[in-house]
Amino acid sequence: MTRDGIALEADLLGKKYGGSGRGWALRECGFTLPTGRVCALVGPNGAGKSTLLALAAGLLRPTEGTIEAPPREHLAYVAQDKPLHPRLTVADTLRMGRELNPGRWNDEAARRVIADTLDPGAVVRTLSGGQRTRVALALALGKRPELLLLDEPMADLDPLARHQLMGLLMADAAEHGTTVVMSSHILTELEGACDHLLLLHGGRIRLDGPVDELLAAHTLLTGPVADLAPHTVVESRTTGRQLTALIRREGPVEGPWETRDPSLEDLLLAHLRTTEGAPA
Amino acid sequence: MSTLAPKGPYWVTVRQYRRTLWLAAAAVAASLAVVGGLRIWDAQTPDRYYEDGQSFAAEDNRGYAALRLALDYGGMWLVLLPLLVGAFVAGPLVAREFESGTYKLSLTQSVSPTAWLRAKLLTTSVVALAATLVLMGIYRIGWGRVSDSYNFHWSERGPFEATGIVLFAHVLAAVAVGALVGQLIRRTLVAMAATGLVMGVTLLILGAFRWSFLAVNTVTGPAGPTLWTPENGLTMDSGLLTSSGARFDQSICWNEVHRAPGVDSMPDGGMKLFERCLAQHDVTSQYVDYHPQSHFWPTQLIETGILLTLAALAAFAAFRVLRARHP
Repeated sequence: MTRDGIALEADLLGKKYGGSGRGWALRECGFTLPTGRVCALVGPNGAGKSTLLALAAGLLRPTEGTIEAPPREHLAYVAQDKPLHPRLTVADTLRMGRELNPGRWNDEAARRVIADTLDPGAVVRTLSGGQRTRVALALALGKRPELLLLDEPMADLDPLARHQLMGLLMADAAEHGTTVVMSSHILTELEGACDHLLLLHGGRIRLDGPVDELLAAHTLLTGPVADLAPHTVVESRTTGRQLTALIRREGPVEGPWETRDPSLEDLLLAHLRTTEGAPA
Repeated sequence: MSTLAPKGPYWVTVRQYRRTLWLAAAAVAASLAVVGGLRIWDAQTPDRYYEDGQSFAAEDNRGYAALRLALDYGGMWLVLLPLLVGAFVAGPLVAREFESGTYKLSLTQSVSPTAWLRAKLLTTSVVALAATLVLMGIYRIGWGRVSDSYNFHWSERGPFEATGIVLFAHVLAAVAVGALVGQLIRRTLVAMAATGLVMGVTLLILGAFRWSFLAVNTVTGPAGPTLWTPENGLTMDSGLLTSSGARFDQSICWNEVHRAPGVDSMPDGGMKLFERCLAQHDVTSQYVDYHPQSHFWPTQLIETGILLTLAALAAFAAFRVLRARHP
């Protein structure tokens, strides 16, 4: 059970899959996600994003450490492959949501996601990837979750549907104060939508915090090559006598450099390119 | 909607396997049509009568012959029914959820994993037991006509399962074993094959040992005329006794006759030599070990008890595995 005001909390969380030669998918992860946040879970393929979401959804047991999430009645999870029962119709799938979530199901919320784009009598097996995503999201939102866990939710959607569903999702989350954790490696999908960031790399957390704080704590600078102390250098590149670096500031930046605020993409790419990340 | 309609995970299970349910209902209806039809066909030819008033089916009654054939196969299918049920539970019902990833959907709804698996297993058990009961009833429609004739003795594999209670226990054990195997082997086809194998071996082992559960009855009689097995019994062993009551190994005398010079040219094939040998070894009487028909129900109960124990253990393990993997 989670503490008040906290939607998701991990402490020294680790997951190792069985079988020889397979390492840790997740190791020594600790973070706290306050309620009402829309959190982007980013990282390269194999970083442990899906494992972290499955642990949060209660589908896996941690190998070590703990993860505190709401009970299964209060969370919804959409796995990356959007699993649905192939022989049920769309209408039957929504009915299943009602049957399996007695007292919580909101048909209105579910139907808003379907939004007349799907024939209720269509069998799930015959749906396209994008249509399956819609049905899976309808099941998740119809449950009225406090915590919504989405694993690469928009990957199968065309840009138009992506825009529409993302808007719907954000409006729904804002209206009900839903906490959302959404994994993606499409950075543009997240920029503007997310106010919290969790960066995973190699099974460890590299960045964790509210987006605006993270952005404010970093500076992108260009100028002559020089010692950047006392600032923490996240990434630096030198071209001739020219230095470009992303730093985490320790006090004001004083020197002959040109500075500007990094974009979320600058920040993510810089952290992903370095092996040594510094948690904020 | 009626209050009897399935709700929650039970509704989902029934909805998901609607086609399987229809298929099972169609198979049951077809069985009834076949057995009923054959009995009507059989009744077209009147029975013949022995002088003592006993009746027997006429030799040219092809309906009777077909009924016997259908019941022979029907009995075999009934015996194999638990394998079918077990394979269904292990494969489509359980392993496929893990293979296709739909467990991620099922186990993140408001119902607990335990309730989810319980709904699957209870629904299947109820349907499978009901189908078994009806099929056994259909078998009996035909069996009333052929019972105790050749190949349809009460102890025979087929009639033994189809006319008692062990089949219900076999079906329940298959459901439980399927639930366990389906979770351990998360591949639909492999899980189906493995469960079929486990239940098949169970069937063979119990078939081989069921007549060792109870001690046999023994009758003795003077050597010479054939000693018939009493009480419509199942003969387990028969042989010769010496005057002290010890069982005598006949092969001793057969070997002796075999070694005698010129035995092949003797007109009686050495029978006299054999009898002389028996006399020399003081053989005076014979015995038959058998299970009387009254052993039917005790044997059924013991076998049912073994299977229900197996079912309980497998079901317990299945739920333990589920709880261990999914918090």
